[in-house]
Amino acid sequence: MKKKQTKQDKLNKTKDLIALLKKHGAQVYEDLENGEFPKFSIPNRSISNIIYDKKLRQYVLGTNTSLRSSRNSSQLRSFTQLLWLAFFANKLTHEKKSSTLRDVYYSSQAFAVDFEDQGESDNIIVDLEAVLSQPREDFYVFPEERSSIFGDLTIEYTIPGYEGKTQNLSSHPDGYAIGPSMTSAELVDTSAELVIAIEKGGLFTRFVEEQVDKKFKSIIINTGGQAPRSTRTLLKRLHDEMGLPVVILTDGDVYGEHIAMVIKSGSANAAHLKGLTVPDAKWMGVWATDIDKFKLPTIPMTESDIKRCYDLLKDPRYQEGLWKRELEVFIKIKRKAELEAFSKYGLNNITEKYLPKKLEESKSF
Amino acid sequence: MSSKEEFNQISPSEFFYRNRDLAGFSNPTRSLYTAVREFVENSLDACDHSGILPNIHMTIKAVKPDKPDPKHYILTVKDNGPGIESKHVPLAFGTVLYGSKFGLKQARGMFGLGATMAILYGQITTNKPVTVKSSTDGKTQDHFEMLLDIQKNKPVIQKHIKKEISETGLSVSICLEGDYSKAGTKIREYVKQITLITPYATITFDDPKGEKIKQNKIIRSMPPSPTIIAPHPYGIDVETIRRMLVDTHYQIPTVDDKMIEKVRKELGMSKNKFSYADIMKKTDKKWKSLTRPVRVVISLMSFVEADFEKLQKIRIEDVDIGNNKLTYWDYGESQTIAVDMDAESPYYKQLANTVQGESLTHFLTKRFQRVGPTAANEFCKFAKFKPETRIGNMNNQDLVKLSDALQTYEGFRAPDPTCLAPLGAEPLEKGIDRFFEPDFKAVVQRTASAYSGFPFIIEMGIAYGGNIQSRGTKVYRFANRIPLLYDEGSDVVLKVVNDTDWGRYKVKNDSAPMVIVSHICSTRVPYKTVGKENVADRPEIERELRLALQFLSRKLSGYMSKKGQAEMAKKRANLYSKYLPLVAQFCTELSGNKKEPNYKKMIKEEISIEEKTD
Repeated sequence: MKKKQTKQDKLNKTKDLIALLKKHGAQVYEDLENGEFPKFSIPNRSISNIIYDKKLRQYVLGTNTSLRSSRNSSQLRSFTQLLWLAFFANKLTHEKKSSTLRDVYYSSQAFAVDFEDQGESDNIIVDLEAVLSQPREDFYVFPEERSSIFGDLTIEYTIPGYEGKTQNLSSHPDGYAIGPSMTSAELVDTSAELVIAIEKGGLFTRFVEEQVDKKFKSIIINTGGQAPRSTRTLLKRLHDEMGLPVVILTDGDVYGEHIAMVIKSGSANAAHLKGLTVPDAKWMGVWATDIDKFKLPTIPMTESDIKRCYDLLKDPRYQEGLWKRELEVFIKIKRKAELEAFSKYGLNNITEKYLPKKLEESKSF
Repeated sequence: MSSKEEFNQISPSEFFYRNRDLAGFSNPTRSLYTAVREFVENSLDACDHSGILPNIHMTIKAVKPDKPDPKHYILTVKDNGPGIESKHVPLAFGTVLYGSKFGLKQARGMFGLGATMAILYGQITTNKPVTVKSSTDGKTQDHFEMLLDIQKNKPVIQKHIKKEISETGLSVSICLEGDYSKAGTKIREYVKQITLITPYATITFDDPKGEKIKQNKIIRSMPPSPTIIAPHPYGIDVETIRRMLVDTHYQIPTVDDKMIEKVRKELGMSKNKFSYADIMKKTDKKWKSLTRPVRVVISLMSFVEADFEKLQKIRIEDVDIGNNKLTYWDYGESQTIAVDMDAESPYYKQLANTVQGESLTHFLTKRFQRVGPTAANEFCKFAKFKPETRIGNMNNQDLVKLSDALQTYEGFRAPDPTCLAPLGAEPLEKGIDRFFEPDFKAVVQRTASAYSGFPFIIEMGIAYGGNIQSRGTKVYRFANRIPLLYDEGSDVVLKVVNDTDWGRYKVKNDSAPMVIVSHICSTRVPYKTVGKENVADRPEIERELRLALQFLSRKLSGYMSKKGQAEMAKKRANLYSKYLPLVAQFCTELSGNKKEPNYKKMIKEEISIEEKTD
């Protein structure tokens, strides 16, 4: 199922967003002109309004919305902040200039709507995402970059100053940061047949050194722990546009399992957004059952690890199959193993022995 | 095994000399402050009692200004009071425990003890005499210089001269060791606070650094003077009862020539000779108009059957009511003669009453406040005394029983507050207004209450905002119109203030510009120490303080919510005028319009709505 995003698609998307922002601005303008207090309707993001959509295989928001009115003196400030952000996002999108979350916080200070702290501005950004049903990356607001990509993939930049420029992502062995230019680039060509997402930067470097990209015809992505949204967007695009299967390699603990789950089916935090998930992605390991199977050195789980296991047991996505089984084994053995644990049997043990075995296995589930 | 200890009697002066710490003379700093207090308060008391608007002038001067503290200071306090009569001056200022304040009424000090203590302290530290200038008639002034003989508790006058003068008043000047650099803040604060609680007084103070402080009177009328009244049954101990009984108990008078003359005069039989029968006849007619001693003497005459001549020749030896026997010495016959007394005779009753004293109920109603005949009878029932019990017949055990019962009986009415001198709600409010210039103020005077027999009244004021600079609640404590500046932490008033949940009254306790003025008036303020700086937490007093504070807090709360609403409206108006222009700006650009929408009327409308609802 290859569905290539064209330049035209991208242009359309930007145009839609600009139109949407304009529509909201016009509504506020009209209200003021009529002597009415403008307001925004924001999907309610509280726990009670987050439900798991089995069809979409991700969390989505329910139908509850809350009003943010400029009439209410306790909401007037945040209403103005939200409108300002829309105004700011409009500017960014027009000028195709990216901005980090921190930039947004500081940019506000040029206007009289300054935020108390970055936490407040981050919240307003999520509010705007919810109002527009668009991820912040679409209006050029990005988190700090910490994940990277390596492998035979050619991209074509679309950001101002680099338009039309192409780049092959296998020319630099440290990998390429997944930032705004990467996320917005056209995916032109690849010889890879697989995407391997790894939780840790150390293993990412090892995989590059061991030429996993060549040996297994793969694109390697370092998620840097819980994958940022831009990385998840890129993973989705690699899957949808280039038709590449995605496998995920994490530490053998409950957090690793959940990192894989978020790539696969999203997080509650981003329940207001769609298009960030790769439902077909596969968690390849390290499984709880692998710990015994591969005789990995372990460390004991902490109390909070165990609590996290029990919390996830209640999550609707962990009610069956692999997810439930592995979680239960973790609870049973109360021990965990890191990816580095394979080094006990030699530095390349993980790429030479474990990876091929698991890749083979993953074809069957 | 025997040890020999010497027991020496010490004079009151010596006692206080040895225990001067208790009276607030523990160190140069505290001593200077206490001396100021004692003299100023004595002056205020004197003026109060004579109904004179006080005008007090105080100076503190260093003897050698260049020396470092502690050093010798000369403290002078001059007033426009009634002065002290020349003959009383040496004793009043030269002995401990000499004074005029023994009645039961509210005064700032008791017994004038503190002033003498200050003089004593000055003498101990500098060996300089006290100078007292006094004028009672406004024409001549007595000028004394004297020292205290500590061992003998007697004044030693070194100089006494008289001078012409044009106004009454007293001026006392002592030299003492003090530390003004440390005590100065408190002394200046004291002078300031005195005017808050004595708004009818003018006080000037020249401090050693040349600074002149003048606090003018705020009001020209004085609160009514307290009256001296009988004690309340609560709070009376055995010793006091014994003294009252001795006072009350009427003794058989000595029958001498003077007494006989008195009897003749009252009967209208001054001249001539009268027979016994004539005297008795006249007595029947005039009985009601006769004074008590005369009645007693005539009763004696009736049993001896004596005329005036015979009366001169006898001496009454014993009146034995139990055995109905009267014995007397007859000078003529040179022997003791005993006669029987007829128990039915009205004269017998007169004698019996005299010897045995009056009845318990009569004693209670006459000598105590708030005890009427009914209450006295009820009390006797409670205490298991016969109402007609004669006080003259009561023994020690009875007295203890009586005193105990007086403490525990709950039927007496609350003590009479007319002996108290509260400032009054209106003067207090004026004082607070002038002193703090607050946005909000409220005062309350509680009705009189009592703790162990001592009546007291709580007056309290609260002030908020305006010129009050301090942040957090500041408590001004007064007792009997004296500012209390030390030992705030252990005071009952502070305890009550701190126990209050100010959040309930919409007040932020730690940042509010709020002042509480508390005044406790009592015939005896239960100070924790002789230094008179903090009031003990008697439950009755605590309760009254709490009720007063609650009343005021509710008033403040009303003000605060009004203020809160007004502030909220203002805040909202401010919010709209701050944010709506921004909203207009952003939406104009976002929607691609050229001109901003017409939103300005919305701000105005919003403000006017707020004003209407306010």
